[in-house]
Amino acid sequence: MTQTRVAAVADIHMGEDLRGRFRPKLHGIEDRADVLLVGGDLTRHGTIAEGRVVADELRDLPIPVVAVLGNHDYHSDCEQAITAILRDAGVVVLDDEATILSMNGTTLGVVGGKGFGGGFAGKCASEFGEPETKAFVRHTRHIAERWRHALSGLDSDHRVVLSHYSPVKDTLMGEPTEIYPFLGSYLLAEAADEEGADLIIHGHAHLGTEKGLTPGGIQVRNVAVPVIGMAYTVYRLNGA
Amino acid sequence: MDAPHYVAARVQRALAEDERTVELGIRVDVRGDKIFLRGRVSAPERRLLIEDVAREAAPGLSVHNEITLVEVREPGEEEPL
Repeated sequence: MTQTRVAAVADIHMGEDLRGRFRPKLHGIEDRADVLLVGGDLTRHGTIAEGRVVADELRDLPIPVVAVLGNHDYHSDCEQAITAILRDAGVVVLDDEATILSMNGTTLGVVGGKGFGGGFAGKCASEFGEPETKAFVRHTRHIAERWRHALSGLDSDHRVVLSHYSPVKDTLMGEPTEIYPFLGSYLLAEAADEEGADLIIHGHAHLGTEKGLTPGGIQVRNVAVPVIGMAYTVYRLNGA
Repeated sequence: MDAPHYVAARVQRALAEDERTVELGIRVDVRGDKIFLRGRVSAPERRLLIEDVAREAAPGLSVHNEITLVEVREPGEEEPL
């Protein structure tokens, strides 16, 4: 099995004012990476117009592009239209599902979706009390169940989980602890730890840090643009 | 006059909810008659818009815009995992 080079970025927050500014940074990406993963918050307001800017920036790259949406991409209730626009541009958009890419004689499985919040073990919300609280936590639990299901059926040489929200606290370091429950949930990490993955990519936490680990030992990387300060970073998954 | 705590909260909420900004990652501190804005954005226009929205949300206070621009560098070395 050969190695797979995964380029990743999140929180590119495109709008008309940034049209044409991101694409030049992707020049030559095919020499550095085999796939580009984009971890949500592709837009600022989640409008169709912004979705079109994102599609134009990512269209016809020489390597496959896999993306998930983020909370900003839901803001105008146009998430389905944005997903369709991106898919028309050749981007694989994951909504709590899996895709398998073949490259260099190896296969890469990517499972992902937006994810959601709730907090981290011992300091998290639970399905108790008002319906609004229960709905909040249930949303994350359902997402985690769908990821677990998608991972369990995934037959590939490497497996990467792509999220917007964080599965761990490690990569939130720098964010105010008071808002951790709005930045991620341990339920996302638990699903990946149960089924196994080589890497979890996320964004959302602009003030966080890049590197962390799940309790089960899976590497976690926060690739939000303000965190990495680059158009993307590249992680090399070595052959077994 | 509102307590500084509530002024800061009002400005932070305006930055998140105003269609011109939709910025969730800006830190707002009020000290006396000054508002300090800190965080990182990707375009100089956004930096100025955030300042405008903050000024409208807290008229009469002077806005100190300490927001920095994210300079998106070329990708560096890959990390083996």
